[in-house]
Amino acid sequence: MSTASRPKGRKKINWAPYLLILPSLIYLALFFGWPMVRGLILAVRDDGALLTLRSEAEHNSSLAGQLPRGTQVGILDRQGNLIPQEELGQSNLLTEVWFQIRGQDTEGQTIEGWTPERRIRVRESDESGAPVSGSVRSILASDADPLTRIYTEADEDSEVVGRMEARTPVEILDQATLEVWLLISGEYENKTIEGWVPARYIRALSDGTQGRIEQGDKSRFTTRYIQRMVNDRFFWPALRTTLLLIVLIIPAQFVLAIIMALVIQADLKGSGFFLYIFAIALGVSDLAVGILWYSIFTQSGYLNSILQGLGLIDSPIIYLSANTRYWILIAVWLAEVWRATALVMVIIVAGMQAISREVLEAAEVFGATLWQRVRYIILPLLRPSLQVALILRTILAFQVFAVVIVLSGGDVMTVLANETYRQYYELRNFNVAAAYASLILLLSMITSFFYLRTVRAQEEVAE
Amino acid sequence: MTGAVDVQSQVGQVSPEVKAIHRRLKRRQSITRALTYLVGILISLWVLIPILFIASLALTTPAEVRSYPKGILPFIPLSTETMAFFLSSKGIIPGIRNSIVVALITLILSILIAAPAGYAISRFLFRGRDVFRLSILAVRAFPIVILSIPLAVVFLQAGIYDSVYSLALMHTALALPTTILVLSSVFSSIPYELEEAAMVFGCSPFQAFRYVVLPLVMPGIAASAIFTFVLSWNEVFAATILTIENRTLPAQVLVTLNQSSEPYQFAGGFFMMIPALIFIFFIRRYLFNMWGQISK
Repeated sequence: MSTASRPKGRKKINWAPYLLILPSLIYLALFFGWPMVRGLILAVRDDGALLTLRSEAEHNSSLAGQLPRGTQVGILDRQGNLIPQEELGQSNLLTEVWFQIRGQDTEGQTIEGWTPERRIRVRESDESGAPVSGSVRSILASDADPLTRIYTEADEDSEVVGRMEARTPVEILDQATLEVWLLISGEYENKTIEGWVPARYIRALSDGTQGRIEQGDKSRFTTRYIQRMVNDRFFWPALRTTLLLIVLIIPAQFVLAIIMALVIQADLKGSGFFLYIFAIALGVSDLAVGILWYSIFTQSGYLNSILQGLGLIDSPIIYLSANTRYWILIAVWLAEVWRATALVMVIIVAGMQAISREVLEAAEVFGATLWQRVRYIILPLLRPSLQVALILRTILAFQVFAVVIVLSGGDVMTVLANETYRQYYELRNFNVAAAYASLILLLSMITSFFYLRTVRAQEEVAE
Repeated sequence: MTGAVDVQSQVGQVSPEVKAIHRRLKRRQSITRALTYLVGILISLWVLIPILFIASLALTTPAEVRSYPKGILPFIPLSTETMAFFLSSKGIIPGIRNSIVVALITLILSILIAAPAGYAISRFLFRGRDVFRLSILAVRAFPIVILSIPLAVVFLQAGIYDSVYSLALMHTALALPTTILVLSSVFSSIPYELEEAAMVFGCSPFQAFRYVVLPLVMPGIAASAIFTFVLSWNEVFAATILTIENRTLPAQVLVTLNQSSEPYQFAGGFFMMIPALIFIFFIRRYLFNMWGQISK
């Protein structure tokens, strides 16, 4: 009986966990994996770097070749394709509107035909905004034909019905929207490529026979965002400060956290109270901590108040200014140690709880001092916890952001996360911001890898 | 026989040397104990005094905030004026509302998605379990900064940029890895035998979960939910990048920081700390469950 029911049961158990983890997998793929990949792509992909040329003025005609953005091209011909009514909503098309008009031509006859919108000044519109009447514009260019040509169809290649003089009043009967295509030719890699492209990609020069590719429709790999990041005047200061902060913050945090953990693990009365106090900072945002330390280091802040109260200074010292960067560094350092040590402490306490009490008691009985117990028993046994705390803290330290903004105004002293924010928020430069974010990711991964390697190497030496 | 008696008498009448060693150990222990207290109190002061500073500024009159040298409570007048000024500033009440909405959605979404996964990790030995656990850990270690930029671009394209809901989606992604690990450790602390017993007595697996496991894990889930709430309440980078009009409180305070007065800044800083002061108290015993799990 039981053997018969087992396989069934096992099969059921096999599927349940997968179903249970499925939602989180989907969620993380959607909102973590995918944006992560996109972020990396954003940093190295140049959208619109290449323009596709077509053999005919149709979106689905065969390829004639590709030209990079910025190429000087000759404009050989133009063509307007009538856009069907249902596709009019596509805002990204460069369009040209033609009017069907009725009016007197130069010979005094009433004619009907099509002319581009730019040749007509609209005088009257109906309630829906559609133009009903207007007049022919005068042409300003000296060498241009002073008369306006009227065509049989909304196409400059169609037959001319007649010509109209400037200021002739006309009725507007209908209008048509055209997508303009240009036949261009340009050189790329010593080959001349000729083909049709939608006009919106081309900036035509004044005479209309020459132009430049403004924007392409295909992307390609580029390092120009990374170059722009590296050449930014804030890049090296930001990188330097970030690394300096990590070097300063992390050792201080670990020493303080280990002391905190020893106090909590000492079985004192009121260790719950100590735990609460030590852990408070765990729930405080970096922005609030920045403001908190600003209240201490600002010119009329508590540090000056105390020093003056003790009679050590006569007038308040200015700490947070461009001339006293080291004070900003100290303030950020104190703020980060104040805030983020709690996390390290919690991880270390959790690790200490796994160390058996007998081992420590035995060491104590044999006369090991506190320092010896920490150095030879607690620290070696804590290695996995320390490793995790180290990785986590370093990664978080790469993201120090609000504290620095509050204490330095964001300009005097800057860090990588702050530059990501500036590129995105102030300069609206998504790609360079993504390059900064990717750099932070890269540095985080390198340090994590480095920590894992060194710890393993030490273990191998120990064996 | 005699040997045993000898040993007993030796243990019974402790020699003076042993007594001396014992006394020395005792004395050393009490010195250590006193020193530990001293260190504990010093560290507590290091944590508490800055909080007292900012609390003093937030809970006094604006005139007192601008004065120099600055005093601390209870030596300066206690007043709600500064806090009231902050709360009545433009965008603060909507910001608080947005922050709470985002945090609540994040909390509900992340618990709903993480609880099944946490249960699966703690109860089933399935192929890929370790890979799943490790990848969750790896996700936990990725920087938030890199997520915000592409998500902002995607949300812009999708037309859900600048909304509390899209921000909650992002915060859920941030909270999910930790929540999964914490909940799996919470479930692990409930012996599977209890569920088995319930099923022996005729419960379906779902009933066993609903009536036996769930009541027992509720405190742990609540602690994790509180932590998620605080995480979302505090998050400032993504909130600033993903919202413009519908700012959360930290984002609102950050973008108006340069043009604002000191009473506003200090009251804002203190106001943002309040949830931490309250909630950490309730979940302090669960902290090791939460973060200890990460290093296992």
